[in-house]
Amino acid sequence: MGSRARAFPSAPAVLLGFLLAAAAAAADVADPAARTRVETLPNGLTALLVEDRNTPVVSFQVWVRVGSKDESRYTGLAHLFEHMMFRGTKRLPPERHGQLIQARGGRVNAYTTRDVTVYFEDVTAETLPLVIDLEAERFANLRVTEETLASEREVVLEERRLRTETRPEGQAFEALLALAFQSHPYRWPVIGWRSDVEAVSVEACRDFFRTYYAPDNLVLVVVGDFEAEPALARIRRRFGALEAASAIPRNPTREPEQRGERQATVQFEARAPILAAAWHAPPAGHADAEALDVASQILSAGRSSRLYRRLVYEERQALAAHGAYWELQQAGLFYAWADVRPDASLERAESLLFGEIARLREQPVAPEELARAKRQLEVALLAGLERTSSLASRIGSDWVLLGRIRPLEERLAAYRRVSAEDVQRVARAYLQDARRSVIRVVAPAGAVAPP
Amino acid sequence: MRALQEAAALGAVALLAAACAWLEPAPAWERPPPPVREGPVVPGERLYRTTLPNGLQVLVLEDRRLPRLRLGLVVPRGAGVEERERAGLASLTADLMERGAGERDALALARAVDDLGADLAVSAGWDSTRVLLSGLSEDRDALLGLLVDVVRRPRFEAPEAERARSERLAALERAKDDPGTLAGWAFLRALYPDHRYGLPLEGTSETVAGLDAPAVRAFHAQAFGARDAILFAVGDVGRAEIEAFARAALGDWPSGDLSRLTPEPPAPAPPERRVVIVDRPDLNQAQIVIGHEGMARSDPERVAAGLMNDVLGGSGFLSRLMVRVRSGEGLTYAVGSGFSLRRQPGPFTVGTFTRVPETRKVVDLVLAELVRMQQEPPSPAELETAKSYAAGSFALELETAAAIAGSLVDLEVYGLPPDALDTYRSRVRAVGPDDVARAARTRLHPQRAAIVVVGPAQALRPQLADLGPVQVVQP
Repeated sequence: MGSRARAFPSAPAVLLGFLLAAAAAAADVADPAARTRVETLPNGLTALLVEDRNTPVVSFQVWVRVGSKDESRYTGLAHLFEHMMFRGTKRLPPERHGQLIQARGGRVNAYTTRDVTVYFEDVTAETLPLVIDLEAERFANLRVTEETLASEREVVLEERRLRTETRPEGQAFEALLALAFQSHPYRWPVIGWRSDVEAVSVEACRDFFRTYYAPDNLVLVVVGDFEAEPALARIRRRFGALEAASAIPRNPTREPEQRGERQATVQFEARAPILAAAWHAPPAGHADAEALDVASQILSAGRSSRLYRRLVYEERQALAAHGAYWELQQAGLFYAWADVRPDASLERAESLLFGEIARLREQPVAPEELARAKRQLEVALLAGLERTSSLASRIGSDWVLLGRIRPLEERLAAYRRVSAEDVQRVARAYLQDARRSVIRVVAPAGAVAPP
Repeated sequence: MRALQEAAALGAVALLAAACAWLEPAPAWERPPPPVREGPVVPGERLYRTTLPNGLQVLVLEDRRLPRLRLGLVVPRGAGVEERERAGLASLTADLMERGAGERDALALARAVDDLGADLAVSAGWDSTRVLLSGLSEDRDALLGLLVDVVRRPRFEAPEAERARSERLAALERAKDDPGTLAGWAFLRALYPDHRYGLPLEGTSETVAGLDAPAVRAFHAQAFGARDAILFAVGDVGRAEIEAFARAALGDWPSGDLSRLTPEPPAPAPPERRVVIVDRPDLNQAQIVIGHEGMARSDPERVAAGLMNDVLGGSGFLSRLMVRVRSGEGLTYAVGSGFSLRRQPGPFTVGTFTRVPETRKVVDLVLAELVRMQQEPPSPAELETAKSYAAGSFALELETAAAIAGSLVDLEVYGLPPDALDTYRSRVRAVGPDDVARAARTRLHPQRAAIVVVGPAQALRPQLADLGPVQVVQP
């Protein structure tokens, strides 16, 4: 549907508080994820269920363990295929899946990332049986034709023009990943290179479906206002006949160590230049993740954060500036970003931004900054419990990326342990000048009249 | 005998079919939808409202599930009451309210908020200005203190005003890098050439350049006052604490000079169809906005018109525009339509985008769907689907207590009945085919739509030349 090749991950909503009071506040909260019921069908499909009758909504998500990193011949296939999942089955015409759910007021959509493809519905309880039946139908009986592929290919190319080809931030992001990763499949965009999207065939879609959309490659997550027993019975009935895959191929390529800074310039009609940088960082689940998250907060969260104060407030070089740890399944990145003001100097913004990164390496962060960061992360963690959809996303993501659901208390404890020395240590380990990749998006000379 | 055998065979087949159906029941989409549970929207037992002698309304919605607290103070005045030459004043005022209040300068205020892990956001809309502050409920007193400081004692220091204005000017310049923003701005200008609604909410480079601390201070004095302000609290908090706090900290808040309450009604839009091209020679995709004047938030026909719009372009993949332009033709990734409901009639718009060579085709499809909505108004089945969509998505949008409180405050801002959330679904059900047909006739005006396209003028102009007078403007 409005399928998203996620432009940028939202700021990592993570972490926790060192202040005793803060720790107490979160500790009082029962983590609904701790009640997750795990069921595995004989064909390998996993279902994760959490009943929560305090909300009027039930969220249903199907996590498919395939993302753009698994593509071989055609980049963008995982995302284009996600679109094709809405384009009809043996029993249902194109778009009927979404229409049937929307006709009852439900939300229905999907997104593709470098690691996963996620289909989701938020509905009221009486619509859950319909959702289960519709999801099972397309996993069992998807129909991909020349005609539907031809029209959906154009839809995806419009999405690519919208997000990447007509916007400087899309240009910057695409170029940054292609520069930071020279070998790993994370280097290509989720939405794919234009030439590949133009070339994807029906046969490639069918192969992709057979290979990756097998039940043992799926995780269902159901959270909210529903009864687990009948839902599970229905899931068994509808998904139980799907045949497990024999083997699911994965790309073997990993990123070699980066030796030396990389830089590239993108010329684009932009009044405001963009500066984007990235450093290689550990993958999801690594022991340094919490310290990197704290560093992200100190750089980026709120008007008292270092990058806002220096680049936006004091020196007036940027309209926004942030830096954050982004964890992926096989590798992570720490990125830093500045929307440079049209009336400012990109060189000046760059020296300020990298000066703040250097400061993280050179000096321990102040105790009040550390406490503030942890507090902010605790509040964010609690906010993630407010909606069934965000709780379901946390459960699905943890299961797929880490193989388990991290309890709230575990995350609180991990954040509580982060010290100023840890923040400095990870900054020194990962945020070295010689290991960064830098993209500058600037207007071609003389292209845009100055204001 | 033979007939009997046949009957028996048929019976066996029927039995077999029944058995199969029992083993593998028909999919849910082949059966009629189950009845929808429809409880009250607003949990009355957890809602508390009162009004202080100075006019301040207090609204508390308890929700003890998480130790969180959201506070807000809303006044029903925003950019809509600005003079056109001072467009952006409400927005700049809101920005400056975050930059120092009470004893704290900008940095001290930022630290106080961030130390709590809280979020402070002050924003101006067309018809209201909102101060929102959220954090942990154990920080209730600190949060309430900060809220009142920001509302009553913003510092509005001249250097901060200069800094904020400079940022705004830079942001307005940067916004031109976004083709969709350019399309929206050019559309407003085409629709309301002389009215405040014709300029962006944030103002323009010309209007913002003239704003300063004294102007902001004067606007704040005029816009903020107890008489029609609403204080709300949602989350892990009791009504008694909030009411006691309101009386102590806001009971002496003056009602305020609220003489300029209502924005001027806009003049009638130009009666001809016309085309504006914002020239961006570098783009390979055209951003398209097509529309005309719409209706006010309080318009008595808004529910029927809203359902008509759902059928047209407001209900995602159910709507005629999406089915035609995306699903059928693959010409876009998204297309939608809607009424911008404000105190005075805001615009009705259809927004979409497509590859440059297909621009004319998409414009024609959109105009044709507007005409078709008038000639073939929603069928009974389409109307039923739209109603089910509207009622169902309404319930889903109100998943959280914060969303319910926000909607209740919105009713106050527009002077709508306080039970409007609870009556919404029955008002939707009461709409008949004639109501939506009338809405289509009286609320859609394809013949005099403004058509705004952002993209390369050289390629676009020949495509659009016969739709009406064409004006090419620079970003």
